[in-house]
Amino acid sequence: MRATLEDLFKALRGSGLDVALNAQIDASRAVALVGWADRDLLKSALRTTLVKALPDHAVFDDCFERFFSFSAFRQLRPSPAVQLAQLAPSAVSPAPTFGTYGQGGNGASGLAAMVFSGDSAALAKRLKEAARQIGLTDIWVFSQKGYYIQKLQRQMGLEALDREIAEVSRQTPTAPQVVELRQVRQRVFEEVRNFVEQQLALYGTAPTRQLHDDFLQTQKLAHIERRDFQRMHEIVRRIAKRLAERHARRNRRQLRGQLDFRKTLRRNATYGGVMFETFWRSEVVDRPRVIAICDVSGSVRAYARFLLLFLYSLNELVSDIRSFAFTNHLVDVSPTFASMPVEQAVDKIIGAVGGRGTDYGQMFLDVLTQVLPKVDRKTTVLILGDARNNHGDAQVGVLNLLHQRSRRVVWLNPESRLLWGQGDSEMKRYLPFCHIARECSSLKQLERVLDDLLRTHGNG
Amino acid sequence: MRCLLAVTYSGIYMKNLYQQQFSSVDAVEQQFARVDYIASRQIATTIYLAYNLQKPVLVEGPAGVGKTELAKSLAQLIDVPLIRLQCYEGLDESKALYEWKYGKQLLYTQLLKDKLAEMMSGVDGLAASIERLHAHDDLFFSTHFLEPRPLYQALHQEAGCVLLIDEIDKADPEFEAFLLEVLSDFQVSVPEIGTVQAKVKPLVILTSNNTRELSDALKRRCLHLHIPFPDAPLERLILERRVPGLAARLNHELVAFIQAVRLMDLKKQPSVSETIDWAHTLLLLNAEHLDLEMVRDTLNIFLKFEDDIANAKEQLPGLISTAQQAARHAGHA
Repeated sequence: MRATLEDLFKALRGSGLDVALNAQIDASRAVALVGWADRDLLKSALRTTLVKALPDHAVFDDCFERFFSFSAFRQLRPSPAVQLAQLAPSAVSPAPTFGTYGQGGNGASGLAAMVFSGDSAALAKRLKEAARQIGLTDIWVFSQKGYYIQKLQRQMGLEALDREIAEVSRQTPTAPQVVELRQVRQRVFEEVRNFVEQQLALYGTAPTRQLHDDFLQTQKLAHIERRDFQRMHEIVRRIAKRLAERHARRNRRQLRGQLDFRKTLRRNATYGGVMFETFWRSEVVDRPRVIAICDVSGSVRAYARFLLLFLYSLNELVSDIRSFAFTNHLVDVSPTFASMPVEQAVDKIIGAVGGRGTDYGQMFLDVLTQVLPKVDRKTTVLILGDARNNHGDAQVGVLNLLHQRSRRVVWLNPESRLLWGQGDSEMKRYLPFCHIARECSSLKQLERVLDDLLRTHGNG
Repeated sequence: MRCLLAVTYSGIYMKNLYQQQFSSVDAVEQQFARVDYIASRQIATTIYLAYNLQKPVLVEGPAGVGKTELAKSLAQLIDVPLIRLQCYEGLDESKALYEWKYGKQLLYTQLLKDKLAEMMSGVDGLAASIERLHAHDDLFFSTHFLEPRPLYQALHQEAGCVLLIDEIDKADPEFEAFLLEVLSDFQVSVPEIGTVQAKVKPLVILTSNNTRELSDALKRRCLHLHIPFPDAPLERLILERRVPGLAARLNHELVAFIQAVRLMDLKKQPSVSETIDWAHTLLLLNAEHLDLEMVRDTLNIFLKFEDDIANAKEQLPGLISTAQQAARHAGHA
């Protein structure tokens, strides 16, 4: 029974549920308490110990049903010959020959006998045992299907059955039992294949998904395809959440500190030194303020979607952040982020703001009027863009002002550092006025950069 | 086995005290019915396991489905005190666990000035005075000057208790982290006194309205229970229990009506507690079945937003007729 539970945990993990070790321990203790007899009771006991969040309830229910429904060999009927033999043993001639296949009990003959007699429970049991022996739960990609089908068949004794078929057909090639046996063989093969497919669906999704995620995280953002957008959003969200959690705590110190003895003494002087009132030293709560400016023009279009995605996620998580997007004019996109679901918001912004003719100069002039008044020494200014200005006026002076007034100017450039300053890139001219300037072209890099950024923010 | 437990934990397990009430899931269900709390199978299973596995339960669900009520009923069921800790932003250790009565301490030092002078008489030099004072200063950090807060109280109950930590999602993440220690070991250390251990491990119920995501660490330590809005038969049972004297037909109509309202696009869906309030109101008004006039006048009992009320008023005739049909189908012509 323990093996069954372990398989269930594996299947749950396959469905994307995060099953912690101590939840597993709880679950097995719970099962020991409630027993296996009552299916509903078992299900609710497992659910309450294993599932820790509401959205996971549906996932669990689905997985539980799939795991405990076992359909292999369900529609098995005794073969007509056997039925006839049971009706009138002496009337039908082939019946005694089938009897000989049933004698062994084990090996191939046993298998054939099971199918002939329609003993689906015994067949299912054999299938399960064989699956456990070959470790079928380790299956994780579809290309392993053939391998596991072969292995499972061998474990169940199909090879011996094949030999038997060959033997019989060599002796009497036209015998009716050869046809029957071939049918049995086909039948068993189909059941095994279905079973392996089921198991692949149950156990195979999690590792494949993990592989896909790893791929997406290290891949250059420009190379990621549109169809992975949904998946990317989930990854980005997770990263943003992790960052926000790790760094929010730092900035929220305890509001009430220690007893302020000096102040307490001074205030209580009125009571003749009897200290009725106490005073507490409190610490100032420091919340980060972030102003993010994102280039969405044609030259960085491939990146822009993901940078906006990241900004969107940050918007959901960080309390004080203003987001702007630009091609040649600065547009405040915070309201769009706040009011729309992510995909729509990103599409809308790219549609409305994106386009040709990047103009960093005009953008900085807009910054001068719209953003600069809001910048103080607590503000971090985050600029995402390639600094390709189409040879226009770079307005470096405004960046200098930002540099002086803000706590930090951070520039994340999707281009390789080697290309900075090449062609119409103004990066080399902006560089002196950035506190931090980094290359940032994949999710991994983005995460690392922002982590550093928030860490220094907390300390500084 | 018993002595092995005693080695690992010196206090008494609540488990050994109330085994009778928690012998099986069915028993738990019946016990809850006895105190007029209609527990679904899922709730009964979770409470049964929580008791037998000694685990806190994290209860989630929309407002007003009886999360807090669950803890109250549980306390009533095994007849132990319910200790409630209401969480809010800024809640910290000193409000949840214990605090020194600073005012009292300071006052005592002032009042005892003479005594102190007396005590100090015959001592030469500053060092000797301080030495003598040191022999007494522990007095001021003893349990006399300790203000026990809910968590501390919960550890000191002789017969165990139900500890309700209400709306944990409102508290800060820091407090959540602090709670982890208390929940896993049921002991706290007061630096000046030492470690205080629970006399009897309490049964802990945490509730959350999902205003923010709780930390994984906390979730891992708890059993998870989600209470959704009840389905119609369960809600009828709840009304039967909570509003005695309510006619069966009205009960049917009322529940069908509320269930239909919950399917509408509303700012806030009517909760079970509001259904109960409404049933009480209708009972007071001597209603025998739902009629348009009366429902329109009493909508504000279960709908709390102007928009929702306006929305519901528009669809009122349809809603009432479906409710009446449902009741008729059930055999209340």
